[in-house]
Amino acid sequence: MGLSSLQLQAKLMREYYRDFSKYAKGKPPAKKTAWVTAFTPVEILEALDIQYIYPESYAAVIAASGREQTLLKESELQALCRDCCSYACCIEGSLALESAPRGMPPRPDVLIATNNQCNTLPNWWNILARRYGVPLIVVDYPGETADRQSAYGYVTAQHMDLIKRMEQLSGNELDDSRLAELIEQSRTSVAAWERVRKLLAAREIEPTLLFDGISFLITSRCKPETAELYEAMYDEFSQLPPANKSRKGIYWLGYPLWYHEKRYLPEILDGCRICGSNYISWWSLDYAGDTAMEQLFSAYNYTFLNLAQSTKDARLGEDIRRSGAAGAVTLHNKSCKCDFVSARNIAIPQAELEIDMIDRTFLDLGQAKRQMDVLLENL
Amino acid sequence: MNILSFSGFVPAQICDTVRFIQYRGQRNIPHYCGYAADFIAQVLDDPQVDGCVFPRTCDSSRVLASYLSECEKFVYRLHIPARRDEAAISFLSENIRGYKEAVESYYDVKLDDIPARAKRINERNRVVERLYAALPELSYSAYLHMLHELLQTPLREQTVPDSLPGGAGGKPVYLVGSTLCAADLPALIEGAGMNIVGDRITESKRLFSAPPVPLEGDIYEGIATSILQNNVSPTQNDFAFILREDMEEIRRKGVKGVIFVTQKYCEPYDYLYSVYRKAMDEISVPTLKLTLADSADSRRFDAAIETFADII
Repeated sequence: MGLSSLQLQAKLMREYYRDFSKYAKGKPPAKKTAWVTAFTPVEILEALDIQYIYPESYAAVIAASGREQTLLKESELQALCRDCCSYACCIEGSLALESAPRGMPPRPDVLIATNNQCNTLPNWWNILARRYGVPLIVVDYPGETADRQSAYGYVTAQHMDLIKRMEQLSGNELDDSRLAELIEQSRTSVAAWERVRKLLAAREIEPTLLFDGISFLITSRCKPETAELYEAMYDEFSQLPPANKSRKGIYWLGYPLWYHEKRYLPEILDGCRICGSNYISWWSLDYAGDTAMEQLFSAYNYTFLNLAQSTKDARLGEDIRRSGAAGAVTLHNKSCKCDFVSARNIAIPQAELEIDMIDRTFLDLGQAKRQMDVLLENL
Repeated sequence: MNILSFSGFVPAQICDTVRFIQYRGQRNIPHYCGYAADFIAQVLDDPQVDGCVFPRTCDSSRVLASYLSECEKFVYRLHIPARRDEAAISFLSENIRGYKEAVESYYDVKLDDIPARAKRINERNRVVERLYAALPELSYSAYLHMLHELLQTPLREQTVPDSLPGGAGGKPVYLVGSTLCAADLPALIEGAGMNIVGDRITESKRLFSAPPVPLEGDIYEGIATSILQNNVSPTQNDFAFILREDMEEIRRKGVKGVIFVTQKYCEPYDYLYSVYRKAMDEISVPTLKLTLADSADSRRFDAAIETFADII
């Protein structure tokens, strides 16, 4: 009998956190360490046996532990404006105070930032580069609005450069067949996750499980255990009762609220069920193409936030239609200005809430409840 | 042809554009820097503007295309690379060529004077560079006023004086950020007994310190090289370069304080400020941060500036 989804999650988390100070007990990491942003082509790093750490994900963990306010205040003392991304503020506060629930992440040997979700992260990585005095590599993805052919040449040159520099750092040589295997593994993880994600509209699934479950596609997408985990989740979720369609279907358009025990706001959603979410589709990367370079280009140049508005509209519209949602909770996230425009042209009624995914003080729950009541009256 | 441009990354060698400075129209979006929101408002509302061009750099500029996607005017987005290597130069040169072709196609014009424009800009920049070098003795207000006029004037009508009125002297300070929409700020600073001896503001060093565009060979590649080898903007993600360059100038000119001007929600400068202030703290140079609410923010910063003058 295979492992349950909980056992597989525990295994992946043990592996991910093994070099954090709380568990490492002063031992240095066995591998070279890169701090990366969430849409970095980590298949290259995995192929070269380089460990990669996601500070953004750790900020979510910190908020979930309820310790973000002290750290946000500390980041202001570090001259980082509170208007900046709260992932950045939270981690900067954490690094300054050396305080975090699982201890401090292993010191980076290199910093890699991509701009296929926003330009905030490369900006933040510059601060990290000054703190640690290690090389910073920015991988620039022009996105869908650039000419495809010239973008392919530009991005591929950067991927080749990244490989060369990571070979030098790790002392390993890239094995093309290993890279192909890892890309295939990522593709398998994405396919398995997509099957899980689509169950949200059809079964009585607690959305929290998906908001937390996506984190493995972010941090471990090219590891075989991730697809295994999602297959186990699919089997378990398939056993749940069909969705209670007498409750109104609501699409959650924006980030999970990491500080909230449930990651969303069940307290304002009486008589409703979350039947879809765009955030949990963002890492469903499309590794299309015949060669590794084509596949990496396709996956990382065409991330959701790097698409043209018309493509975003079409993709989001289709996901909402498939979810059967009657209305949407649309989150205006202080920390993610690029996501503000995602909901510009969706056709269903929305309650637009001002939030931050890390800083709980941004939410006015009374106001949110009133907005939700108005939405429900309109549905 | 009346194209509104959003940034110094837009190559003036291709054609004349009017640099966006300030607009008091309806705000279309909250939470983006007021400069971007006001740019969108002017493109959409101002009947005299028939087109726009802007880069994809910061997050506010990245979403301009989404807000302008239904606009029927000429809209062009330049992809400014976040790197400065050969691949980036090649990519940008293709982009600049695309910009030129898009203007020709939309306006039914022939842009065949690009080398001549490049030559004129090369010459203009060298004159401005000489004025910048003489800043400790000049009135910075007069210098900035001249630059702002240049940005609003077609290239063939631009004239740069060989000299500017002298300044009143005072405690040497360094200006960082953007004063495009805060043209009165230098006068306030000078009035408080400070002398702006150098800067890293959008419309000064980045306007003229680009290497000359070679007039032989592929002109687009030459323009791209010049843009990417220019003094970098924080949107280009090389804070180390900025700190290195500025620290050298600040030390060399004996600067006593740094005044950092930013727009509300302008993340590149907000992030830069975090490392900039620490770097200044390390060499005991005080910093003053002034945050403008939007492009039409006319608040007075007298008290803050006078207090800062006393501190330094």
